[in-house]
Parts: sequence; C-alpha cells; structure tokens
Amino acid sequence: MMLQPFSLPGCLVQFAVAILATVCFAVAFQAPRRHFWCCGLTGAVGWLVYILCTAAGLSGPVATLVAALPLTGLARFFAIAHRAPITLFLLCGIFPLVPGAGIYYTAYYLLTSQETLFAAKGVETLKIAVALALGIAIVCSIPLPGRWSRRQYRGPKPN
Amino acid sequence: MTDRAMELVVEAGKTMLENGGEVFRAQDTMEIMARSLGVQGFHVYVLTNGIFASAESEAGELSAVRHIPRVRIHLGRVEAVNALSRQLAAGGLDLAGAEAALAEARALPEYGRRLAWLAGAVGSACFGYLFGGGAQEVITAFFAGLAEMWLLRLFGRAGVSKVFTDIAGAAVCTALCLAAAPLWGAGYQAPHAIIGALMVLTPGVALTMAIRDLINADYLSGTIRLFDALLVAGCLACGVALTYLIANSLLGVPL
Repeated sequence: MMLQPFSLPGCLVQFAVAILATVCFAVAFQAPRRHFWCCGLTGAVGWLVYILCTAAGLSGPVATLVAALPLTGLARFFAIAHRAPITLFLLCGIFPLVPGAGIYYTAYYLLTSQETLFAAKGVETLKIAVALALGIAIVCSIPLPGRWSRRQYRGPKPN
Repeated sequence: MTDRAMELVVEAGKTMLENGGEVFRAQDTMEIMARSLGVQGFHVYVLTNGIFASAESEAGELSAVRHIPRVRIHLGRVEAVNALSRQLAAGGLDLAGAEAALAEARALPEYGRRLAWLAGAVGSACFGYLFGGGAQEVITAFFAGLAEMWLLRLFGRAGVSKVFTDIAGAAVCTALCLAAAPLWGAGYQAPHAIIGALMVLTPGVALTMAIRDLINADYLSGTIRLFDALLVAGCLACGVALTYLIANSLLGVPL
C-alpha cells in the first residue's frame, strides 16, 4: 500500500484523520451525537494498529486481524460503559478497516477483463473480511469476569 | 392483551432490523421482551429481511410475519429499542409505556441535510488521504463526495432504484475525478480520489457483517447480505468502468 513514511508526526496525523473519517461515518449511520468521540476513537485505534502492523511488514489480512482485536475490545468497553449496543461503536469503528476498496477493485478488474488481478484482489478482499469478522468474533466471545458481566445486560434469568 | 404485546415485540424487532441491528440482536431483544411481557409460548425466527413469530394466547395460536425489504442504518434507533427492552426487562415500563417508547424510538430524527452532506464530503476527503492521496486528491475527493451526496439525495427523493442510484453515483464520482486531472496537471492520481469518494458507497460493512453472520452459523442471513454486497460492488464497478470507457473513447483519457 501507499503509506506515508513511518514517523511519530505521521502517525498522529493518521490517527486524527482516522477519527475524523470515523465520525463522518457515525453521522452517516445516524449514531447519537453523544457517542461521536467514542466511535471516532474506536476507529482510529483500529487504523493506527493496522498501519503500524503493515509498516512492520505484516500482510493485509493479518494486520487487519491484529487491528480488529483492540478495536473490538474498545468497542466492547464503550458498550458496557455507556450501556449501549456494541454495534453502535463497532459498525462505525470498523469502517477504516473494511475492504471497501478491495471489493471495488475486484469488481473493476472483472469488468475490465483483467482476470489475474481480479482473482488476486478478490481472494485478498475475502481474506480481509474474514480476518475482520474473526477478530470481532474472538473478542466478543471472551467471557467477562463477574463484576463486569453483571453490568453487561443479559436480560432476566429464564424461569 | 397478548395480541398487543405480540404486536409490540414484533414491531420492536422490525425496527431493529430496518435500522441496521444484527440478526442475533433482534432475536435476543424480541425473546427478552416477550419474556418480560409474559407472552406464552413465544417462538421467533429472524432473517436479514424477515421476521416469523408465533405465540399462544387464550384465544388460540397467534402468528406474525414481517418483511423488511430495505435497510437504512440508523444506529440511534437501534440504541433506543435496546434501551427499551432493557427497561422492560428491569420492570420499569408497562405495555402502554413500552408502546409509547417504541413509537418515540421510531420517530427519532435523522441528521439535517447540511450535516449529512458535510459528513459525506469530509469522509471522502479523509479516506482519500488514508489511502495515500496528497492534497490534490483529497480536495478532489471532497468535491466528488459532495456531488455524490447530492445525487444520492436527489435520486432517493425521486424514488430511483438502488441499483441505478449506485451506478449513477459511481459514474458521477469517476467523471469528476477524471475531469479534475487537467486542473491539477502531472502527479495527480485519479484512482486515489475515486476510491476515497466511493468509500461512502462501497459495501465493506455489508461484507463484514455477512461473514459475521456466517461465523454465527446464520447461513441464510449471511448469504442474503453477501449477495447484497456483491450486487452493490458490481453496480459501483459498472459505473466506474462505463465512465472510464466513455472518457477513453471520446477524450482519449488512458485507462
């Protein structure tokens, strides 16, 4: 990918832009105003981990999997702290990581008859989507210790 | 009594699904609400675009079916319905109160037009930057995003189908980004601007949610979302490829 040279100011700028981008999609998804900062932070943390991983030489899907872990953890934390559904933070937060560009390039190569590129891009896109979903599933299925799980809503006990 | 409770539960599930809640969340919420309201023998099967539920009442078997053909993500409403089911389970609401709360949740307003446009345009510009664009690409993506939001609103009002809206949106983006090339001169990378502006339309979230459904073993819901994502991706690529072809044959823009 076309990343800026890895440096501290570069990272800060990327982080800030990722917050702004995520908040824009929080507006598009009609998230309540009071959750904008949390959505933005969730997305920016995911993106920062992702670019650090790719700068360290990891491939796209692996970097996405690694980035999905802190991202989902943060979303889950905000969901418990604000007693809101985790979707609220997750849907906005994963936006910088979702393979939107990959899907687009796959379809574009298919239409312009570049079969080799189409297959390569298609497989990579699918891998990224699976990695992201797996990361979310892993963090969401970690059971919480008693004190926290009581705060997390589970509904009334069945009779 | 059970009729009204059943209606409330199914409508709450419908509100969740049509505003972008997940399938398993809608199912959980409906079961919790039915239990809190004392609906006997409640069973429900939820798909991405449909709800099938049945319950028992004094008069006999009750059933309810809902079709949700179109999803417009509104996370505020999902949160409101979630809060409603939570209050109901805690015993803080009766049936009439819950009905009022649901009506209120469904009537939550959307953000105003100006803010939505600004968000679309700034979001496009941000993704233009995150995907490696420089100042030229970011500025182009901003205006392409603005044009795209305008077009989406126009077509949404006129009731144009989703397929055609996506094709036209992608075509307008691409045309603008290609048309900006002579203004910026050498060094301008049209693809970065195009993909930044298109990010608003790409079905990345739908694809990821489809895989999540599949991992949850909701195979049917996952497949529905997957095909939805593929259709949108095809439409976008169609719009972009057509514009490139026209620009190539009429104006000699390289592919």
